[in-house]
Amino acid sequence: MKRTPTVNEVNEFLEIASDFEDPLELLRESLSNAFDAGAESVDIRIKSQPDGSDIIIEDDGHGMNEEDLKSFFDLGNSSKTDSIGYKGHGTKIFYKSDHIKVNTSRDGITLSAEMKNPWEKLNNRVLPEYDVTKTDAPSSRSGTLIRISGFKSGEGFSPESLTYPKVHNYLKWKTIVGSTAHFFEDDFHEMDITVELDDEIDDSREQLTTTNKFEFPSEQLLPGDGEFPAERMCKLYGPNEITLNHAEGTSTVEIMGMAGGKAARNELPTFGRHSTQFGVWLAKDHIKVERLNEAISHDNEFIHFLFVANCQDIELSANRGKIRNKSSSVYQALEEELSHFLSKVTHDPWFEGYLEARRQGELARKASSESTKAHDRVDRIKSRGRFMPSNDAEILFGLQRPSAQSNAPEIFVEDYHPTDDITAIVRTDGTLQAAAVSSTLVDYFDDEGPLEPAELLICWEWGDTDELREIQRTGYLGSDVDIDFERSKVSYETKDGISGSCDVIIVSKYIDTPMVEEAGTVSSTSTD
Amino acid sequence: MMSVGSLTDYGINRDLLQTYLSSPIKRRAEFHGFEGIIFADSGGYKNLTQGALDGSDFELEMNQARVFEMQQQLGGEIIVNLDIPIEPDDSFEERCRKARLTAENVDEFLELSKDYPAARYLTVHGYNYSMIDTFMQELQSILGDIDISATFDGIALGSLVPKKDDRELLINAVQGCRDVMAERGFDDLPLHVLGISNTAIPLLAAVGADTFDSSSYMQAAINGKYYKSLLSTVRVEDADFKDCSCPVCSSPELRSRMNGNTQYRKDQMGPAAVHNLYVQMTELKNIRERIQMDGTDGLVDYIENTIGRNDSTRKHAHRVVNESLGGYF
Ligand SMILES: [Zn+2]
Repeated sequence: MKRTPTVNEVNEFLEIASDFEDPLELLRESLSNAFDAGAESVDIRIKSQPDGSDIIIEDDGHGMNEEDLKSFFDLGNSSKTDSIGYKGHGTKIFYKSDHIKVNTSRDGITLSAEMKNPWEKLNNRVLPEYDVTKTDAPSSRSGTLIRISGFKSGEGFSPESLTYPKVHNYLKWKTIVGSTAHFFEDDFHEMDITVELDDEIDDSREQLTTTNKFEFPSEQLLPGDGEFPAERMCKLYGPNEITLNHAEGTSTVEIMGMAGGKAARNELPTFGRHSTQFGVWLAKDHIKVERLNEAISHDNEFIHFLFVANCQDIELSANRGKIRNKSSSVYQALEEELSHFLSKVTHDPWFEGYLEARRQGELARKASSESTKAHDRVDRIKSRGRFMPSNDAEILFGLQRPSAQSNAPEIFVEDYHPTDDITAIVRTDGTLQAAAVSSTLVDYFDDEGPLEPAELLICWEWGDTDELREIQRTGYLGSDVDIDFERSKVSYETKDGISGSCDVIIVSKYIDTPMVEEAGTVSSTSTD
Repeated sequence: MMSVGSLTDYGINRDLLQTYLSSPIKRRAEFHGFEGIIFADSGGYKNLTQGALDGSDFELEMNQARVFEMQQQLGGEIIVNLDIPIEPDDSFEERCRKARLTAENVDEFLELSKDYPAARYLTVHGYNYSMIDTFMQELQSILGDIDISATFDGIALGSLVPKKDDRELLINAVQGCRDVMAERGFDDLPLHVLGISNTAIPLLAAVGADTFDSSSYMQAAINGKYYKSLLSTVRVEDADFKDCSCPVCSSPELRSRMNGNTQYRKDQMGPAAVHNLYVQMTELKNIRERIQMDGTDGLVDYIENTIGRNDSTRKHAHRVVNESLGGYF
């Protein structure tokens, strides 16, 4: 028998097949098909080949009859209107391959279908055909085996990009394997899933086995000990079933989720950044589609949450990547209800306590790091021979030290503006003077500090004498400068003939005695 | 609810004031059949902002004795002392000073009213537990350790009008007041919240307020607003009177006046004010009934479907339900 896809729109085929960007979407579609076929177990094997990858999907579902096979290959002609593979768009991703082979058994009959070079044909604007042969199956075992060869997975299934953790994450976040339906259904249809990656792709384990249940971390309502007391805190919310009333009637939304710290979230099969995985997910058929993080008010980071809100009345784009009916009243009601629900969660005293535990942890960590820093500073002060400023303010403090005042000029710092060139206004002999502060006079010139407004230059040290001599020799920004070391004075005359001078105070001159014997005690006698 | 302070609102003259005070409210013809209780406030808020009662052709300086005299003239059945409300910018010292002044009035008020057959409410002031507790300390520094529960019939929490839109603060104030009352052993007394009647009412009721008052129904009407519910208003011109079954909206003549078919604006807004009051009272009755129900489900349900559905009030609604009404989870 020869079968040709009945929808004669090569372009539509191409377009839909091309819309699947992530080769892992093939897993999503295969798993949905197996689930729809009532399978209790499904095995997937992926092998990377130079000209694409080979994928085998085997399930023990009820198998396909000829009609089912037709909709498996056809566009928009599905018999499974109430199922996930609805409209058959999903299997179009299989067309991105060199060869598709389907063996399916049902009611004692086995159908074998084969399609050759579907991707090449589509790209040549030819609709691929498939052959079907029918044989009587010896046993009554039903099920389907699909073998796809030369799948155009690009780099997607290469050893560099595909790993078991990545597959696990994809299954739980993007496919029926991450279903939250078990929280809501008594007769939940459970399915065992095995994924085997070829050793060449990832040899870190034999295979991945899981079920189609999304499991949240266990609850831990109280903070833990240690540096991050909130990191393992976790609370589950739901299952909640809420009825939405809207202009088109009523819909149901099933909400299940958690809030919790990083360690709790890491017990989930996360992969990569949490910011792309957490928040509020909208789902259909219990497969997460898109996030609606705006449902969490802005002062609550969505990253603490993982909520799944399933609603069967949202409509999806052909590749199931997006929600299509966002302007519908259903969607608006869903949006509103989710914001409402999440406002209850974020105002749950437990959640507020969780945030508080985080802040307390942060505070404790800060306190401990500050106290370490303070200790280091004390050690440094103990080990240095004498007072040594490390910034401008400390230079001024040096001047204000009681022991400095016996031989130092009497100067009182009246204000301190660290960002101004004139950093301080000081009082000497009852008059106020504009003072610039610098570690050395050389630095002051290097930083191109202004001379005119300064009446006083307060420095810790002079700096390199030769550099100062060079400045005297070559001038400073066009002005002539004379530095009188003996009288501690800088005189200048600008190009425009403005002349003036300012006194220089070298603070280190007045602080020769080691000041600190023990932290917290000041000694006036020198120690060794 | 009648406030001594509001007697001179709307610029009345001395003669009109005399008329107001000439006989107790309940003995007037226009109040025939009125079965409510007359709550006569002291007008502390007015005194604070204006220093005295200010009519169109006179000024009336207020003191505790004069306030009590006017409360009697009005036939007040619940009366409060003359109080000195606090203001948002008051320093700690200023608030303490006002508390002591209020305390001196309370002392006088108790003496003046000892034979008057009315329920006596004590005013307290503050925005949170600590402020209200300090108020009580100052009060006791003047009055001594009086038995509040035996001396008064209720507590009136004041000074909240300038903060009427800060729901977080209102909730904290009522919660704090209830905590102070419990710690100081007069939690059996009812708590009245002076001057607040907005959408915060169900939340304040949930955290322990028993009664409310305010002229917001009238203020709304003066601003041309018609209540659709406790939560939403429309301009009187845009209102659909068919949605309301109150006596005002059921009267063709009053409907026509609200529609603007009248020469004076007061004749348009007067009926709107009565309608607004009616809406407010109906809601309050609803809230009261839900509070009186067993458990908290009734009130939670009410809050859920009213202020819980409004973006600006939602978080306060959810906070109160979570903290005071058993919580959602
Ligand atoms: Zn009405």
